[in-house]
Amino acid sequence: MKGTPGSARNPHLRETAVDIAVPFLLLLFSFLFSSIWILMMGKNPLAAYAALLDGAFGSSTAFVNTIKKSIPIAFASFSIIVSMKGNTFNIGAEGQLALGAMGATLAGALIPGLPPLLHIPVCLWAGALFGMAYIAFPTVMHVRRGVDLLVILLLLNNVANYILQYFVLDLFKSDNALVPSSRSILGSAELPYLIGPPHRMTIAILFVLVSAVVLQWYFSKTVAGYEMRAVGLNREAARYAGIPVRRYTGLALFTSGALAGIGGALEVLGNYHCLYTDFSPGFGYDGIPVALLCGSNPILAVIGSIAFGALRNGSLTMQARVGISNEIISVVQGSLILSVASNYIVRYLLNRKKGKEKVHA
Amino acid sequence: MPEWAVVPLILSVIRLSAPMFIAGTGNMYCERVGVLNLGAEGMMVSGAFAAVLGSYLTGSPWIGVLFGMLAGLLAGAIHALVCVEFGGMHAISGLGLTMLCNGIARFLCISIFGSTYSPNVNALQTSQILVGIPVVGRFLSQFSPLIYLGILLGLISWFIVFRTPYGLRMRAVGDDPKTVETAGINVWRLRYSGVLICGALCGIAGSYMSLGQLDRFFDGMISGKGMMAVIAVKMGKWSPGGILGTALLLGLFDALQMRLQVNQTLGLSPELLGMVPYLAGIVVLCFQKGRNARPIALDAAYLRNKYKF
Amino acid sequence: MKYAVEMREVSKRFPSVLANDRVSLCVKSGTIHAIIGENGAGKTTLMNVLYGLYEPDHGEILIKGTPVSFHSAMDAIRQGIGMVHQHFMLISRLSIADNIVLGAEPGRGLRYDRRQAEEGVLKVCQSYGIALDPRALVQDISLGMQQRVEIVKTLYRGADIIILDEPTAVLTPQEIDDLGRVLKGLKDRGKTILIITHKLEEVMDFSDEITVLRAGRHVVTLRKEDTSIPELTAYMVGREVHLGGCKASVDNSQVMLELNHVSCHPEGRQALQDISLTLHSGEILGIAGIDGSGQTELTELVAGVLPCQEGQVTFLGQDITSSSVSKRKAGGIGFIAQDRHRHGLILDFSVEENLLLGMQRRDAFISRRFLRNNSQIRSMAETRIRDYDIRPPLRASQAATLSGGNQQKIIIAREMGAEPALIVADQPTRGVDVGAIEFIHNTLVEHRNRGGGVLLASLELDEVMMLSDRIAVMYSGRLIGILDARTATREQIGLMMVGRRPEEVGV
Repeated sequence: MKGTPGSARNPHLRETAVDIAVPFLLLLFSFLFSSIWILMMGKNPLAAYAALLDGAFGSSTAFVNTIKKSIPIAFASFSIIVSMKGNTFNIGAEGQLALGAMGATLAGALIPGLPPLLHIPVCLWAGALFGMAYIAFPTVMHVRRGVDLLVILLLLNNVANYILQYFVLDLFKSDNALVPSSRSILGSAELPYLIGPPHRMTIAILFVLVSAVVLQWYFSKTVAGYEMRAVGLNREAARYAGIPVRRYTGLALFTSGALAGIGGALEVLGNYHCLYTDFSPGFGYDGIPVALLCGSNPILAVIGSIAFGALRNGSLTMQARVGISNEIISVVQGSLILSVASNYIVRYLLNRKKGKEKVHA
Repeated sequence: MPEWAVVPLILSVIRLSAPMFIAGTGNMYCERVGVLNLGAEGMMVSGAFAAVLGSYLTGSPWIGVLFGMLAGLLAGAIHALVCVEFGGMHAISGLGLTMLCNGIARFLCISIFGSTYSPNVNALQTSQILVGIPVVGRFLSQFSPLIYLGILLGLISWFIVFRTPYGLRMRAVGDDPKTVETAGINVWRLRYSGVLICGALCGIAGSYMSLGQLDRFFDGMISGKGMMAVIAVKMGKWSPGGILGTALLLGLFDALQMRLQVNQTLGLSPELLGMVPYLAGIVVLCFQKGRNARPIALDAAYLRNKYKF
Repeated sequence: MKYAVEMREVSKRFPSVLANDRVSLCVKSGTIHAIIGENGAGKTTLMNVLYGLYEPDHGEILIKGTPVSFHSAMDAIRQGIGMVHQHFMLISRLSIADNIVLGAEPGRGLRYDRRQAEEGVLKVCQSYGIALDPRALVQDISLGMQQRVEIVKTLYRGADIIILDEPTAVLTPQEIDDLGRVLKGLKDRGKTILIITHKLEEVMDFSDEITVLRAGRHVVTLRKEDTSIPELTAYMVGREVHLGGCKASVDNSQVMLELNHVSCHPEGRQALQDISLTLHSGEILGIAGIDGSGQTELTELVAGVLPCQEGQVTFLGQDITSSSVSKRKAGGIGFIAQDRHRHGLILDFSVEENLLLGMQRRDAFISRRFLRNNSQIRSMAETRIRDYDIRPPLRASQAATLSGGNQQKIIIAREMGAEPALIVADQPTRGVDVGAIEFIHNTLVEHRNRGGGVLLASLELDEVMMLSDRIAVMYSGRLIGILDARTATREQIGLMMVGRRPEEVGV
């Protein structure tokens, strides 16, 4: 099959253009959809979005806060990307984030006398371990018995929420805090600042960048990364090629749990230094549209996470200034995920013209 | 357990299983036509909120239930559009739908009522009409009429699935849409109908949660009931009888957990007890048997020819 | 004479191909009309247009002289058209009667009347002399029987124009004869029949008129009496073809593969029962059998994809019964799996990445122990693309964008390129064009001529008979017997394919 002369000059260029255009079109759609609801409440969506942008990027403090919010989102999206590469879908990032945060809180508060250079990695490891422990049971059930991973993880997110409440309100509660919270971590476990007060930006962002680069390198350069991608794209063909499919699925899920756990740990070590029941407004779920929109590319996912961090951060300004509940962000996200689910039809519409120019060879 | 405690327990098991049964029956239609529905949760949230809104606006709880059903239907329509029309990914669509419905319900709740809790509205009364029946009347009259509606819907659904041409087609399309299309049947209309019925039933289940059990809506009130309905379908082998059994089993754990929270018999913290129903759901999911009753084409997109590349 | 079907200048375009290009077709009523052409010639698309599954972009269709326009299969069914698809359109969990009445269920009010359905089906069967048990589940009956269900399905809906798409692909020679009798009976009762096929012997057996399609275009329509197989081949392909390769005499004394009382039952299903055979170097061992007799399982077991539960597999003197797929690959077993999209290729990968699949752990393609050696991989890919003439010759293009024949060439290039001693091939020519078939046949025979072994499973009996040195016939997971390809006849093989012992068929 060849294109006739005069058809799209460079089909690859066009495909790339479509690849780039699709996420923006989907974003546009979800903002338009959300505008309907804002209009229904008698508010001006443009004013709302202006306030949103201003709140997210309007000042250096705003920008730093956006970055801070994007860190757990980035780890959640890495977590989901890795699981997708292994032909599964880790929808439990929200729960693993909470478990990871608990692990880090425990390690940060209970292990005294370590220098920061040692204490911080120990806490991060604890977060990763807790994240992995959380995903261990669903992984074993999925790989060994073929249990539906999505259903079990969605249920476990509820369980994780109860565990978090139990941890903060009962098991590890602080006796002298105004807001119900867990005990605080020791000073040696707190992340050092990259940019000091008033911005208070910690080195957590470096972990994000390093993780993105390592993941990208793993998938594009190593043999194991190649094998994992093969498993993710066609599990059966990978098995027929002699690749140990179950091992890679398990590896992907455990890595996925660890990454989300580290994301939760960084929240504790970098931001709060203790744990609240509502420390995550749904960062784990934010990772889903990021991972899907970025075509599971970890580098692009960093950019996507900043965009979603901006949504989270700017929505507070929007709420204060325009009087629109920041819950509208869930509407944006929900409609975005729905439109990502329908991405086939968007591609079909964009490609239709190109297709008509081809003839039978 | 003393005898006086058994009857209330049974009553509360029935009350707690009802929404799972109604939503599960809805999901059965959806999965029977081959569409996976992880958005049941969202459909129930829409139903629960819209029901309260309807009752708040009109003062009539029955109009509220109608609102709830329509909201569920609308949520179902979105899922159907993505999965049936656009050939989208069912699981992702369900997640998005749940997030969207949660978001809209919270957004509207805050915008209209100023908090994530709605005020109290007129709720459905219990079925006082049945009080005259000897012996069991005083128990039967304690249930919301929606429970009886649910039982009726379950019976009708059994008849539809196993005794009507529509049921035959539904079972066929869940296994192999292509075959059904070549038999001259409109696959998409069939699939739409399944998803829409599911939306409506989930909407009713949601209305039951907000107007049948309580008299208001609050954020997080559905928390996982929709997923329980999904499990009930799988465990119940895609038939109303099986779904009823699973719903009752899951309801039992929920009722026991609540009983323990109230009585404080074990001295466990409420958070730990709160997990019990979910853990029960997970155990049920992991150790279910008879997975070969699963519709073969479940979760598979079937595109109209005009959308093919 | 009146035409039952007239298609005028029908075009159907898919976004990536023009499948039918102004095709015209006239079918006289009460005849059997064959439509022949290579894979991808547009036969099935044309029939799907006639059956209302696709709407044509251009052209018109007349049924019994009246112009019609179909928007769905229902419209075609109403006009008395029925279609038997190549892959049977049956729901295996439902009964025969349920399947036949689907879409036209009898009943009172809302109720579906199953008994009435069963009686209706029996009545149709009796009037056409077809034997069926309407209550049996489709999953329990043979493929030949399933085809009869499909034919009764069209008759039940009142079809008098019946389209059969590759009806003989999965049948034994004897079942094909039966089908011929059924079709003749239908013709005698005034039905018009269209057969899509690429098997020319059957065309000459069954049909009254023949239409040849090539590359989406109508080539010629002929009466059977006026033509011959060589002429039809020339019309179909546009040139002469030599299938079957060129076998040289080679030393085949060395035993390469030995199966010793092997059984396999994945998920409790008895797929292979007590199979013993040997394969020598310089030999092509063909496996014949009706679809689902265990051929695929046998190839997968040798390749290591299916576990062997009982018995022993020996390869070049070594016990490989429990070796992994990758160990077998490294030891010299290449595998061409049946379903190239599901098992052979990763369609989203590039051609280069697909050529690497399964060999990514070879020393040549690894640098610093865990990194991919891109320069080596690139030069390997370029060599393979050149040697095996993969088109377009771009290693970065996505495998999904290549034609079926070229996709199959990627798999052949990959498996042959690893220089295996034994090639296990399961239906390697399924769904590819004649050019690629020729190439694949030559490749397999050359491998044999160099002293390699080939285990070839195919549903095309002609292919097995043409290529093999010996033919193993399987039935229902058992090995019925092994015949010498030089002396075996189609009839003998056909009878063994339905389970008759070799002694019974005169071997």
